[in-house]
Amino acid sequence: MNISTSQIIKDWVPNDSKVIDFGCGDGSLLKDLINEKNACGYGVEIDLKKIQECVVKGLSVIQKDIDEGIQDFESSNFDVAIMASSIQCLRNPHMALRRMLRLSKQCIVTLPNLGFWKCRLHLASGKMPVTPNLPSSWYETKNLHLCTIKDFEKLCEDEGFAINKRLFLNDNGAKGLLSSLSPNLFASEGIYLLAKK
Amino acid sequence: MKINTDLIKFESGINLESGTKLESFELMVETYGELNTDKTNGILVCHAFSGNHQASGSESGWWNEIIGPDKAIDTNKYFVVCSNNLGGCSGSTGPLSINPKTNKSYGKDFPNVSVLDWVNSQKKLMDYFAIKQWHMVAGGSLGGMQALQWSISFPDSIKKAGIFAAAVKSSTQNIAMNEVGREAIRKDKNYMDGEYLDNNVKPKNGLKTARMLGHITYSSESIMDQKFGRKFQDINSKVDGTVDYEVENYLQYKGEKFSDTFDANSYILMTKAMDGYDAASKTHGDLELAMSDIKAKLLVVGFDSDWLYPPKRSKEIQLAAMNVNVPCSCVILEGKQGHDSFLFASDDYVNIIKGFIESV
Repeated sequence: MNISTSQIIKDWVPNDSKVIDFGCGDGSLLKDLINEKNACGYGVEIDLKKIQECVVKGLSVIQKDIDEGIQDFESSNFDVAIMASSIQCLRNPHMALRRMLRLSKQCIVTLPNLGFWKCRLHLASGKMPVTPNLPSSWYETKNLHLCTIKDFEKLCEDEGFAINKRLFLNDNGAKGLLSSLSPNLFASEGIYLLAKK
Repeated sequence: MKINTDLIKFESGINLESGTKLESFELMVETYGELNTDKTNGILVCHAFSGNHQASGSESGWWNEIIGPDKAIDTNKYFVVCSNNLGGCSGSTGPLSINPKTNKSYGKDFPNVSVLDWVNSQKKLMDYFAIKQWHMVAGGSLGGMQALQWSISFPDSIKKAGIFAAAVKSSTQNIAMNEVGREAIRKDKNYMDGEYLDNNVKPKNGLKTARMLGHITYSSESIMDQKFGRKFQDINSKVDGTVDYEVENYLQYKGEKFSDTFDANSYILMTKAMDGYDAASKTHGDLELAMSDIKAKLLVVGFDSDWLYPPKRSKEIQLAAMNVNVPCSCVILEGKQGHDSFLFASDDYVNIIKGFIESV
């Protein structure tokens, strides 16, 4: 995750929130949220090596495959659920989003935009895109469900998720004019704050 | 590694959960490593049902793979304390001890003990060492239940709790298995209604059968397949002529060895304590309420191959902790030894314990 993405997520999380970070990786974001926002934070991660890094940082982390279900957590009443750069790796992204909004009041999702002009150029030249936001070759990537900004917002509409905030970054990680004017073409990443309608 | 073994007497006695008071009691205690001057490096390890104070440092150390210099619980850095539980048969006050009122061994009249009683007695041990806060309390199985209970009973006296292959309470199946073991002991003609000590006999056969069943529950179907398969026991190393398969020989051997050393009344007491444990017993079954005052960080580890305290029991602890905002990590490791996996070092298990101990 680049610095601006994690900064935006931190800005969107209210102080003293109970937060769950799905796909928390080495726990850097979670650690910042605890230190800077006094969050009560839990991480969910599938990779044992990353879990160990979280534990060393003193974080609470739960080993879990999100695709196998997170319904158990619905009794935990989270304020914010975060899914940063992971949604496209899930087998059932729409199910995960539904469930996240069942266990948390709000949900922050970040995703790479396959509609980004550089991706389109790659595709136009007949190749799968490889960009800073989509760095792996097609045969190595963990991404299963890539989508465009338009696709994602259509899903939110169909599922009845309210988009309370949205921000678009170009591939320098900046909030450029073009990426906010025409995100589907010029944003390399979208950041969303979702809630139930 | 510096090792000290001591029998420590507590003259003030202890009020047991059952309502009985032991006017005084002794704990057989072993320590590893050295207590620092601030007394901040103490780690209490709690043994499982048939363990004792010998956690490390010798062949009989039940947690040798985990405790020692540079191991997961590093005795170069930490002062590790382990005591034989009250009611046990390895030196602490128990059924083999002399009842001051009768000047005879307590035998079957030793009062019922509970996980809470053990934790309360270990708190007295903590005060004896003048330790204000354990850096960690850890254990597996029944030992994990004690670690959990420590975090509930004495929230300010424990920084971290390592709860491995454990549960918030025994399952119906756990109780059922234990009852079969107890029945085997009771039906041994040498048990004599628990008064075998007075008659200078020992219900060895019953103990042996109980232990053989125990070993089956600590293992798993696939582990037994891998370890023994359907291999026949070599004719020269059969424990007796009735044995055909290796697995039979193994259970016979393990059962026999156990029945030489363990006390039958202790067996019954310890399994009853295990059956009776419920972390939510003081809160009318409300586990979240019971756990809501925990200040320690929890590390819960379950093992996939464990069918006695399966992973879902570990997840139950994690979920209750998270529901009441208690910091708690939970991992489920493969575990090659079934329920016994918590005893053995694997890279993932060692790294996670080390990381947890060192974390700030």
